[in-house]
Amino acid sequence: MVPVKAAAGGQGTRRATLEDKMKLIDGVDCFIFDCDGVIWRGDSVIEGVPETLDMLRALGKKLVFVTNNSTKSRKGYLGKFTSLGLNINAEEIYSSSYAAAAYLDSIKFDRSKKVYVIGETGILEELDLKGIKYLGGPGDGQKVVNLKPGEYMEHDEDVAAVIVGFDRYINYYKIQYATLCIRENPGCMFIATNRDAVTHLTDAQEWAGNGSMVGAIVGSTKREPHVVGKPSGFMLQNIAEQFNLKPEQICMVGDRLDTDILFGQNGGLTTCLVLSGVTTEEQLLSPSNEVHPDLYMSQLSDLLAAKQTLKVTA
Amino acid sequence: MKQASPNDMMEMLRRYDTWVFDCDGTLWRGQALIEGVADALQLLRDLGKKVLFVTNNSTKSRKAFKVKFDQLQLPVDQAEIYSSSHSAAAYLQSIGFKKKAYVCGERGIMEELAAAGIAAVGGPDDNDRRLEGRPVEIDPEIGAVVCGADPGLSYFKVTYASLCLRHNPGCLFIATNTDSRGHFIEKQEWPGAGATVAAVQAVVGMEPIVTGKPSPFMLRDVCAAHATTPDRMIMVGDRLDTDIAWGHATGMATLLVLTGITGRDDLAAEWGRPGFQRPDYVMASFGDLMGISAAARAAA
Repeated sequence: MVPVKAAAGGQGTRRATLEDKMKLIDGVDCFIFDCDGVIWRGDSVIEGVPETLDMLRALGKKLVFVTNNSTKSRKGYLGKFTSLGLNINAEEIYSSSYAAAAYLDSIKFDRSKKVYVIGETGILEELDLKGIKYLGGPGDGQKVVNLKPGEYMEHDEDVAAVIVGFDRYINYYKIQYATLCIRENPGCMFIATNRDAVTHLTDAQEWAGNGSMVGAIVGSTKREPHVVGKPSGFMLQNIAEQFNLKPEQICMVGDRLDTDILFGQNGGLTTCLVLSGVTTEEQLLSPSNEVHPDLYMSQLSDLLAAKQTLKVTA
Repeated sequence: MKQASPNDMMEMLRRYDTWVFDCDGTLWRGQALIEGVADALQLLRDLGKKVLFVTNNSTKSRKAFKVKFDQLQLPVDQAEIYSSSHSAAAYLQSIGFKKKAYVCGERGIMEELAAAGIAAVGGPDDNDRRLEGRPVEIDPEIGAVVCGADPGLSYFKVTYASLCLRHNPGCLFIATNTDSRGHFIEKQEWPGAGATVAAVQAVVGMEPIVTGKPSPFMLRDVCAAHATTPDRMIMVGDRLDTDIAWGHATGMATLLVLTGITGRDDLAAEWGRPGFQRPDYVMASFGDLMGISAAARAAA
């Protein structure tokens, strides 16, 4: 049942009416939320979000919270949600750290092989949960390189995949180790959690994002990575399979047109933009914008308008 | 794909009075001179040829490279050496650059910038700097970011460089070169300037100005300094994507040697490919030129 997409079909986007909201809730079994700008802004939860999530849960909807941040595991992110008064489970969080481990699991990664990790503890924890052995991670951040005569780096020939995630301790040693594995171990995979150009570790300044760590390895190997986080399709396919849903039964809710909405559209999902993050209504409706979500609303809690009509007892 | 015959070698000597050499893999491997090279270079000098050395290695200044030539007992004048560290400084000088340059690279770039009268900041001095949980102050005087091979690459340096490029109006993005790997030590290749450049480029989305091989700038700089033109020049090197590509881009003749990165099989694999830029001549080693030494001296 795809009423929402058919209604918007091909004529651009529109602000969700009450009827749209009811059809959306009725036709969608799973909501995927980008976090920043949808659920919270910085360290404050956006008004009305907890009640909206409770309503959707009471209606039996599956909820998934997606983040391209790879530094923490799903369990590690739970702390942020609970501190904001949001009741969710670790398994409802889809971090790019989890995506990397889930990807290897999905291709039946040979458990006798190893992974070399450029990244922080989140990826290591998720690999542990999937029973995948690894080398590298934060420990290699201490290793300094001296290019002296006679110097030679050995590498483990059992490394069958290199995962590159966000790494504030990136260094020349790690770049070389990863490069040797990729170039010299036959069939070694090069996986990236994501390629975001910048990251917002402080509110006031944009620092280098995961794309820079990935860039260093691309520059050294001349190989392109398989990306598992947004905007690649793996995450969405994995979620759809996990819940046994068709793409149209899933709605992507985000605040960015070129990542969240395009990401959802490329996966065949229903898409809804909220204006509580980086995108303004003016930018959305501008003639130069070519990305049109099925619906848009001011913020997630606009869905609460449907609560009375749906007679939700949450 | 035939290797150069004695006639080919005599022809090279007749046609080209300026011989330009890549270093790693062409003249030496690590600390070891390739057999016959010293004698072949001397032959060229005795025949009155101009001899120049161009390396994409950005880690040393040309002065430091002369030390290496001296250690290997290869006679050379510092003015005959062109490192990509030098080419970056020469480029900035050529455009009348008067601001500061932030360096993601080794001491060689810092030294060349200083020699060109350009204030250089960052480089190995920033290897231990870390970002703290608040915005970092960007020096508004930084008007260029210069990236080369960087064994001290760090999150701080990539972020600081990207902030200069994004926030200082008109800040230039300079790459000494974009080679993915380099033979900085004999036994193994390590990440080259290409890794540093790609890390910064991923953040800022800008194309860098490349000053080393195969960019035409380096050739213009060489020709201006030595009063020569590409039609009189032959480039001798071991890399198809820098040395031979540079020849094709600039009009120099090209001689590929098989003592470095490119092996016989690599060349054979590429030779028939449509669009492949073939070297004009191929020799197993530059030292093989000694095979015609007597004939060449007699003809001179």
